Amino acid sequence: MNEFQITDFAAQAGDLLPYLVVAGGGLLVMVVDSFVRTLKKDHLSYLTIFVLCGAVILQIIGDKSDTTLLNGMLITSDFTRVFNFLFAAIGVVTTIYATGLFDRDGRYRPEFYPLILFSILGMMVLAAANDLLTIFLGLETMSLSTYILVGGVRGNTSSSEAGFKYLILGGFSSAFLLMGMALVYGFAGGTGFADISAALQTGTPDRLLVGLGSGLMLVGFGFKVALVPFHMWTPDVYDGAPSYITGFMATAIKAAGFAILVRFAILMQPQLGFAWYPVLSALAILTMSAGNLIALAQNNIKRMLAWSSVAHAGYLMLGIVAMISPTHGGSEQMMHGQAIGEASGSAIIFYLIGYSLMNLAAFGVINILGQGNGEEADDINRYAGLSRTQPVAAATLAVAMLSLAGIPPMVGFMAKFYLFSAVIKAGLIPLAIVGVINSLISVYYYLRVLVVMYMKEPEEDSYDGKEMVSVVMAGFLALLVITLGVIPDSFHRMAMLVFRGIQF
Amino acid sequence: MSFITDHILTWVTFLPLAGALLLWTVVRREAQARIFAMAIALADFVLSLHLWFHFDTGRGDDQFVERVAWLFNGQISYHLGMDGISLVLVMLTTFLGPLVVLSTWRAVTERVAGFLGFVLFLQAAMLGTFFARDMLLFYVFWEAMLIPMYFIIGIWGGQQRIYAAVKFFIFTMVGSVFMLVGIIYLYLQAGSMNLTDFLNLQIGHEAQLWLFAAFFLAFAIKVPLFPLHTWLPDAHVQAPTAGSVILAGVLLKMGTYGMLRFAMPLFPEGVAYFAPYINILAVIGIIYGALVAMVQPDVKKLVAYSSVSHLGFVVLGLFSLTSVGIAGGVFQMLAHGLSTGALFLLVGVIYERRHTREVSEFGGLAHGMPLYATFFMIATLASIGLPGLAGFVGEFMILFGAFSSQAVAHARLMAILAATGVVLGAIYMLWMYQRVFLGKLKNVKNEGLPDLSLREMAVLIPLVVFMFWLGVRPGLVLDRLGPSLEKVTAPLNIQADDHHILQSSTTATDNPVFVIRNTEGQ
Repeated sequence: MNEFQITDFAAQAGDLLPYLVVAGGGLLVMVVDSFVRTLKKDHLSYLTIFVLCGAVILQIIGDKSDTTLLNGMLITSDFTRVFNFLFAAIGVVTTIYATGLFDRDGRYRPEFYPLILFSILGMMVLAAANDLLTIFLGLETMSLSTYILVGGVRGNTSSSEAGFKYLILGGFSSAFLLMGMALVYGFAGGTGFADISAALQTGTPDRLLVGLGSGLMLVGFGFKVALVPFHMWTPDVYDGAPSYITGFMATAIKAAGFAILVRFAILMQPQLGFAWYPVLSALAILTMSAGNLIALAQNNIKRMLAWSSVAHAGYLMLGIVAMISPTHGGSEQMMHGQAIGEASGSAIIFYLIGYSLMNLAAFGVINILGQGNGEEADDINRYAGLSRTQPVAAATLAVAMLSLAGIPPMVGFMAKFYLFSAVIKAGLIPLAIVGVINSLISVYYYLRVLVVMYMKEPEEDSYDGKEMVSVVMAGFLALLVITLGVIPDSFHRMAMLVFRGIQF
Repeated sequence: MSFITDHILTWVTFLPLAGALLLWTVVRREAQARIFAMAIALADFVLSLHLWFHFDTGRGDDQFVERVAWLFNGQISYHLGMDGISLVLVMLTTFLGPLVVLSTWRAVTERVAGFLGFVLFLQAAMLGTFFARDMLLFYVFWEAMLIPMYFIIGIWGGQQRIYAAVKFFIFTMVGSVFMLVGIIYLYLQAGSMNLTDFLNLQIGHEAQLWLFAAFFLAFAIKVPLFPLHTWLPDAHVQAPTAGSVILAGVLLKMGTYGMLRFAMPLFPEGVAYFAPYINILAVIGIIYGALVAMVQPDVKKLVAYSSVSHLGFVVLGLFSLTSVGIAGGVFQMLAHGLSTGALFLLVGVIYERRHTREVSEFGGLAHGMPLYATFFMIATLASIGLPGLAGFVGEFMILFGAFSSQAVAHARLMAILAATGVVLGAIYMLWMYQRVFLGKLKNVKNEGLPDLSLREMAVLIPLVVFMFWLGVRPGLVLDRLGPSLEKVTAPLNIQADDHHILQSSTTATDNPVFVIRNTEGQ
């Protein structure tokens, strides 16, 4: 922004309201917690869910236009609204899971409620960022809250260790991001996306500066979405964090990371295509392969899902590669550039929705199976005979695993179908073949969970934690996984429309 | 009833699925579950009879078509249809359904509702695969078949069941994922997943070779064609009897069905290029399967390897690219479903009584169990292709086709080698029969075993009836196949039936079946 303008808050209040509600809701929850001195914290969970639902409802009844807010710091469009809805929904599910566990075990964590709201606020800002500074603000708000959520389980050293590790490495990656932003700023002369876009289109940009800058920013985003080789924290943090937070991280943070990655990739498209296309293709392959191969060897279900989450970041990265491929490829690709971009962009959005559903279903079951003394249900072998002792929980986990493996008629298959279609549409058949080989490898370790649950008899030390509400919630998500797998079209069409709305 | 007959294919496909869902949620009690599953399977059979009697024999195109837009504004649709080839295989599936359910009455005693649910789920997926005329829909059904079979083997199977179940799943997936890439590639070319649009595509030579390889791999694993057969003996031996019957009866036919329906018509140049090699593999499979079957100590494993041999015949018939051979191949699919299905049921009968299937444990069973021995004999003879029984017709037509085929390198030698497979088949089956049933009753454990019960007879008699019926009146099936085969294989360069084998097999000689397309005249 060249000249400073006074923001007209009143005019933008309607569009800002969802963000303000979540922020204010977080503060409200903190205040309420300090005044209502009961041991049981159910009222906080109701309040949190109320705040999230309120934000979503305000958004639904509010203005549907694409506008920039706060002097171009934020942009709201259908894209950000869909992601806000996704974050809020994940937040509600996570709150239900967490509260179920707190109530059952009697170990309450009041700080969970405001932090989850602040984390979601960060994600909402991140997805709506229209300025390098808001990217950083959103990312840090999201991350700082998550560091505490990961590490804040009292008396649990592995949680503390995970939180600390995540904090240190996260800080490190933020530094990369900031350095990248500084370089991009240096070349564009402004931090707004509009400035960057304008600078990229006029004259010959300094390729070294913008290449290096965008590359360093990619490192920062790559860390958040667990892209190899910036994935090192993933297994330890996923394993150490309580399961409800692991589910939250695997879905919401990944969705937020890819939301900004998609917009960043569109913004920087020509330069990104020029400088980083081969590297990103290689990283996508590496991420898928490393994630799946290492997941094969895991006996700990949370570590397994951590590596699977790395692998899924790789699949999603294929989508990004397909999206930026037109500017890299030959004239034929250029011609269909828009179609390819739309196909891959909508595939990424659909994939994130589907992936969130199946992962939350899985983590919902994992979360409640632990026996209640703070112990996590993470040893796959101790899932033996779950289909006998808890058929609904076992069926839910089975659906989630089959969906993650990409078996029809689950949503995981449709997500992969859309994604690989886009990749093949971009003419990247070798990448698609690497992708399907990877999804083949993944079948083995997902099936292992089914083997243990269904084909082994219950044993003395099999997990047996129960909690009604969580199971119902997870089962409902599993039903959604199947429903979306059978009739995905309306969601995909929505993803397509939403993607078309992205602009700078 | 028009709400049923207007959407008859959907009803036939999804009735078992609805039954499965009810079995898993509502009808959980064992006795009720059995009767409920039986009722659903019978109802599905009755519904499919509508297809049989209302099928227009003279037409080769899809009938009873249903089409509803599904994805991408109808580029991908829920598109079902049925021609003669599908009809025959669908009838086999729905016919075996109630028999399979009935056969589990005493064999499966744990988690009965769950088991029967998976059986019905599997039946729905198989029927959907035969009906699907949209490639993505086909793929969805094709993959969905894996899930119930995986559980059937993995939960209710034998000692090594987990290994066998996982191996089955992974092996099949290996082939299908490459096919998926091929399907998407074709979809982007055609702008639609409709099979007809795929058939109208002009695909370059090299692309045809790659795509054919991708499709063929998926189907060859399912068949299974030598050397991709190694999952089959494990799956069969570990699967419970009902699982083996479905596996041998219908599931293996998915592979050859897929070849005939998709791989061959879509990529004629791929077929022309690969057919000689495929035929060699088929002949190796025929002989290898027979030789390995011969030395099996376990009766079930013997029958499993005999499937490798028999399915080798089917592939040889299809890729002989002669009208007789292809018709024979489809007929053999049916005949093998009946005879091998019956054999697995019979093996299951003795396993229930003795909890072993080792040939060496038996001997002289015919003394105590004359009915059992008789049924076993009939199934054995049907399997080795005795004239008058169903197996003969298929094998004869395939060998005839292969012998005169121009697509087979050294056609006569290959036909002769394949024919030795028939001889070997007779040797291993009869030798096994001799060791199990004839001679003196040596093993005391085999004394006083009860003969077939009424329920077991009720399972076996329909199978035996059809073995004879199709053996003496193959026209019943071939009539319905003819026009459809002609249509499906139209893109291929098929050798005409110069010797009018197919015509003589029908009762109405003025109604020529399958291809009187003279290739010389073109």
